Amino acid sequence: MPAQRTFGMDHPHHEWSPLINRSTLRWPDNAAVALCVIVPLEHMEWEAPAGSFQVARLAGGSAPREFPDYARLSHREYGHRVGIFRLLDVLEKYGVRATIAMDALTAEHYPYLVRHCLDRGCEFIAHGISVSRMITSNMSESEERDYIGASLQAIEKATGAAPRGWFGPEYGESDRTPQLLAEAGLTYVCDWANDEQPYPMTTGGNPFFALPLMYELDDVVSISHKLMPVFDYERMLWESFDVMKEDGANTGRIMAVNWHPWLVGQPFRIGSIDRALSYIMSQGGVWAATGSEIIDWYRQQAG
Amino acid sequence: MALPPDRIDYLPIIDRPIIKWPNDARVAVWISPNVEHYEYQPPNEGVRNPWPRTPYPDVQQFSYRDYGNRIGFWRMLEPLDKHGIRCCISLNLAVLEHFPEIAEAMMERDYDYMSHGIYNTRYLYTCTEDEEREFYRDCIDTLKRHTGKPLKGMLGPAISGSVHTPDLMAEAGLIYHTDWFHDDQPTPIKVNSGKLISVPYSIELNDSSVLRDNHYNAQYFADICKAQFDRLYEEGGDSGRVMCIALHPFIIGQPHRIKYLDDILGYIMSHDGVWQTTADDIADYYIANYYDEAITHARRLAEASGK
Repeated sequence: MPAQRTFGMDHPHHEWSPLINRSTLRWPDNAAVALCVIVPLEHMEWEAPAGSFQVARLAGGSAPREFPDYARLSHREYGHRVGIFRLLDVLEKYGVRATIAMDALTAEHYPYLVRHCLDRGCEFIAHGISVSRMITSNMSESEERDYIGASLQAIEKATGAAPRGWFGPEYGESDRTPQLLAEAGLTYVCDWANDEQPYPMTTGGNPFFALPLMYELDDVVSISHKLMPVFDYERMLWESFDVMKEDGANTGRIMAVNWHPWLVGQPFRIGSIDRALSYIMSQGGVWAATGSEIIDWYRQQAG
Repeated sequence: MALPPDRIDYLPIIDRPIIKWPNDARVAVWISPNVEHYEYQPPNEGVRNPWPRTPYPDVQQFSYRDYGNRIGFWRMLEPLDKHGIRCCISLNLAVLEHFPEIAEAMMERDYDYMSHGIYNTRYLYTCTEDEEREFYRDCIDTLKRHTGKPLKGMLGPAISGSVHTPDLMAEAGLIYHTDWFHDDQPTPIKVNSGKLISVPYSIELNDSSVLRDNHYNAQYFADICKAQFDRLYEEGGDSGRVMCIALHPFIIGQPHRIKYLDDILGYIMSHDGVWQTTADDIADYYIANYYDEAITHARRLAEASGK
């Protein structure tokens, strides 16, 4: 049993910081909850390159099938062709701008989508190369640097601006990733699902922050993997909001959700997103913001 | 999809030619019962094991599915007939030879048929190109011999296929493939010769995935089918949509589930502006009216994007 049982975290990426030890966080206009809607636009490859890593239960296509898996590939593609437009329309109805996590293959091969998301005022964050190639410790450091660089360049080339945020496909990281992301000039990362407030990461270089997602509010986690009925997912969204709003009166919270267009953009699911947002946005005390807006405000508050 | 397998041009649903269905219907609704036979002692070609639970036979799993042909199919016909549904059967063609009463019941109702392979325990993964060509010839001949109808489309057996499947289907004269879940409208599929399109089938509104694999209850199945219909019906006012409900007699034909099928069909059929049809008819209509326009439009979009 080699672990050193000493104070704090067992990794160097951030400090141990329980909520009770923190100073009060206030959002603009004293909102209790910052709502951040992350929308991944990720391409599922027909054949992933040799050596690339996929999680065992990569969602899509209802059930795993042998190659060639037309079902999963095309089920995912539904998001790019149909679901994204439904989802962005619902977000626009409630004045919510999405934080688009776009992978390099989408940025390079779907210029129509890039333009559409730019026109809607979305923020773009980098989302790796494809969902069928995630970062893991199997990568060498130089492979990982190249991977991150290719992802950032693809977004910059497609949108005209370097992304400030990162969200790895399937939350994939090695034990080097936060350092490499900070070195690549990024400001924040969404892979860490361990908080309801932003927090600084200790990368030793430029200021770099975590913008934590709510793991159970990730639609793939709850609907695709845990098989939650979409009407229960809807209820979970507004019940989460109610508690975070109450708790956020003391110190502000982030409700960061991850909504895949191929999944919640299906005709029978989009109504649940619409109703949940209708409820949340009508309660008052909510600040709908993109990832960068939240991090910038947090930095200013934290001094 | 500008990426492999490079079969389908990227066409965002908000920017494409408007589809008008017959009689200005908003939604083309097709109901697709999978009428299947799973073999008692199938071959195991080593890619996918038809009966992974036990050495063959697996009487529990075999007979659960066979229940669909002996009992479930007949129970399923009651709500289908009550609401005047003309089905497009996803058919294991050997059923026509093993179970003539089922063949007669389907023919009496003038159903259409797409191939779902010969048996649901024989997949296309390991076929050589010539074997797959022979497979289409067998499917076409068997359907023609028993029903007099030409075969127009396919849902791969157990949704299996090869990389050549779309090309070989088109070469055999088929016009639609339903293994694609990328859209709420038909779309052209690029093939070496002829014309092939995708007609949207469903792995979401499918009793096999919802009720068998994923263990939801039948009330939930009814609720999501109605929610799907409501949304597509609304959007179909702008441009026609397709909605498919996929069924399996051994699943939906269970006594505790059948009333929910009645409920779903009653709800859908109570609306005006529904084209209750088959994948055969959707494919014919789309190819006659929109196929060329879709190709031209995709080319224009690609050029505008500099691709």
